[in-house]
Amino acid sequence: MIVTVTLNPAVDKIYWVDSLRVGRVVEEEFLTRATRSSTSAGGKGVNMSVFLSQLGMENVAMGFIGGFAGHVVARDLRDKGVTTNFVWTRGETRTNAVVLEEGQSRILIFLGEPGPTVDGDDVKRFVRRYRRMLSSASWVVLAGSLPPGVDASLYRDLATMAREAGVKVVLSAGGDALERGLEAGPFIVKPDTREERLLGGKSLATRDAIVAAGRHIVNRGQAEIVIVSHEVTGDVIVSRDAAWEIRSSVPVSDLKNLVGADDAFLAGTLFGLAHGESMESALRFGLAAGMVTAESEGKIRGDRGRIEAKMKQVTVDRIS
Amino acid sequence: MNVREIMTKDLTAVESDVPVRELIFILDNAEMPGMPVVDDDGRLIGFISEKDLIRAALPGYFELLHSASFLPDLNQLSKKLTKIAGDPISKYMRKEVFSVREDEDDLHAADLIIRKDVMSVPVVDAAGRLVGRVRRIDLLRHFL
Repeated sequence: MIVTVTLNPAVDKIYWVDSLRVGRVVEEEFLTRATRSSTSAGGKGVNMSVFLSQLGMENVAMGFIGGFAGHVVARDLRDKGVTTNFVWTRGETRTNAVVLEEGQSRILIFLGEPGPTVDGDDVKRFVRRYRRMLSSASWVVLAGSLPPGVDASLYRDLATMAREAGVKVVLSAGGDALERGLEAGPFIVKPDTREERLLGGKSLATRDAIVAAGRHIVNRGQAEIVIVSHEVTGDVIVSRDAAWEIRSSVPVSDLKNLVGADDAFLAGTLFGLAHGESMESALRFGLAAGMVTAESEGKIRGDRGRIEAKMKQVTVDRIS
Repeated sequence: MNVREIMTKDLTAVESDVPVRELIFILDNAEMPGMPVVDDDGRLIGFISEKDLIRAALPGYFELLHSASFLPDLNQLSKKLTKIAGDPISKYMRKEVFSVREDEDDLHAADLIIRKDVMSVPVVDAAGRLVGRVRRIDLLRHFL
């Protein structure tokens, strides 16, 4: 059983517009009417849970939720067949607002709220529940931003607990939460590079830089596998023995909505690994899953038939 | 249909040493009238509801009265709730708890809900661990 931890989940509101005008001076006030919109539970781990449930893989989504938006998250996940085990906290679960242009995959605006402040008692309640889940988990995913009030070392502590229980850890985060989480030596680390392209203090600007940074992490025992998004349709993977580049030949023009695609990639990879697939096979399935989601206007598309068909458009090349 | 197909797959539960005030916060925010109580292995060991707490806050002699309407308002309820706020819920929870297994028929869950006059029934796996709950609406909404 897989446990996903999204400490700062969100309601994802996606709006499609024909065009977006932005006021540049005080006098300019434009009303842009959305042609359509969608509302869904969001956050890295949450998106992964939705994908895994769509593929029939047992998993439990954990984290903090609060307020009206918290109920939206809980209800949406349950309607999608995800088992939930959230801790209720004061404050309102955050909302992310995403604006896409009709017919384009380019995200015009991605506005993310910080999330409710979580206090020490909430964290204690969460850790108690989390510890309970570890006895039946085979994998734990620690993913996404930390809510305000939570110490940056929490992922490290949760990863350590998981490892001590014999559970493999996937860590997908950025900033201090990532750097401290590495101290616990997760099995897989995938840095969140949306705000800064850094890992272990090293740049991830180029393919070679990614390989070097990944090697640095793996050689220090801070992860077994490092996965870094390199291009829209590709990733670089570094392990103790080798480095690979995985790419899809899907044209960027075929992509409709990139929101959640990266999470589908990681979830697809985890799905493969949890089923005993080799790393190469799991990564191929994962990237195909990411592409199928990106080609869909909906946020997450766990369609196994389409994913397996898409694998033919994925190449895995050893680069060192 | 079996229970697994219709149940609400939510593991929200409390431990028996959680104080009453914390339970009230969770019940209010989760909008649940009651909640399973589990041990550290996730096994169902009890159930605690809003009714159990209200009953705990009423003076002991209330059961002897036909009505409380003649009694002066001396903030008895608030005072008692304040007094028990720090108590562990183990003092007030029902230890004899009924549940259904996830592989049982939904008819069995429906029967329990009606016979016991409750709003939901905890669902457990073969090892007695909480895996969800069946609410009254769960029995109905899968027809939509």
